[in-house]
Amino acid sequence: METIAVYWESRIKTYGFQRIPRLALIELSCPINSIKPMGEVFTRNDMQDLKAPFIAAQESDRGLSFVFCLPEKEGTAFHAFLEQTNMPTSHRYIYPVGIIFFHGPHFGDRYGIAETTFSAISKEGIEVIASGCAASSVYLILAQDDLDRAEQVLTKTFEVAK
Amino acid sequence: MEKVKLGGMKQSLELCQFDLKGPDYPERIVPRISKLLASRKINIAFLTYSKLNNESHQLTICLNQCDFTRSSGILNTEGTLPKGWEIQSREHVGILTVYPHHAPVKIIGSVMVLFATQSLPIYGIATSLSAVSFITDYRSIDKGSEVIQNSFQLPDDHAPIRPELIYYQSDEVKRGKGN
Repeated sequence: METIAVYWESRIKTYGFQRIPRLALIELSCPINSIKPMGEVFTRNDMQDLKAPFIAAQESDRGLSFVFCLPEKEGTAFHAFLEQTNMPTSHRYIYPVGIIFFHGPHFGDRYGIAETTFSAISKEGIEVIASGCAASSVYLILAQDDLDRAEQVLTKTFEVAK
Repeated sequence: MEKVKLGGMKQSLELCQFDLKGPDYPERIVPRISKLLASRKINIAFLTYSKLNNESHQLTICLNQCDFTRSSGILNTEGTLPKGWEIQSREHVGILTVYPHHAPVKIIGSVMVLFATQSLPIYGIATSLSAVSFITDYRSIDKGSEVIQNSFQLPDDHAPIRPELIYYQSDEVKRGKGN
């Protein structure tokens, strides 16, 4: 079976923008030989209730570098917990940040989505702290104060499907 | 012990990965690289960006494997990357995406443990509203799927895990796999 879809849109359509304000961002670097014990930490019962709207990890020189975005209270607790563990990790805490995210049809299969997003944000002078584009979603982690401007510029750039 | 339920899982096509790392730069790296690739009609299937602890920035992108040579040529051309930026590439990676009902932290932790136990690499992770995506070796992606299927409970009527539909965005309709 084969399906071929060709998109021609003068403005790229999305299903709308969603915002999650007042989050804490925690950066965490995990050495390659600690990935399994770190995974075991994440599966602990007291970690199950963490409502993380965004998590990303990148391969760094000697392991994985994580970015967690959590509600302030949970972020503070998570940060404190990390400080108490004996894991050979380094971490950093930034507050407040916010997320703006959106989805669109076959975003992961079409060129130009990232370019349209990041060019618009960059031209507005907004700094992206972190980002993740996976499946059909685009997540931008910004300083809390930049959320309004980001939504304005993205609304002008993309078309929200009705 | 009852297995954790997943809403679904799927594999990507064969991809390649580029990791770009470097210092802060007035012209942001993400718009610069994404513009360059879009101008060549190269799709970015996966992207993560962050500023790391040591104040350097890292951009990770996954592209279709069939675009590897072309993309590598573009990204390694002198002047493409700002001064001080380095690039590392990896061919033949794939993305395993799982759809958890809740508790993404626990799902990520479980997959980290399972993959580490089986010596399966994880080269990147990103979550979205309903999904968690893991980059691994494409040659190991079936093994990764098997490990997850054995450890989590998928719905009985689960859709095919391997991709069956291929989508293109092009000014010319093409048929078949890849370009």
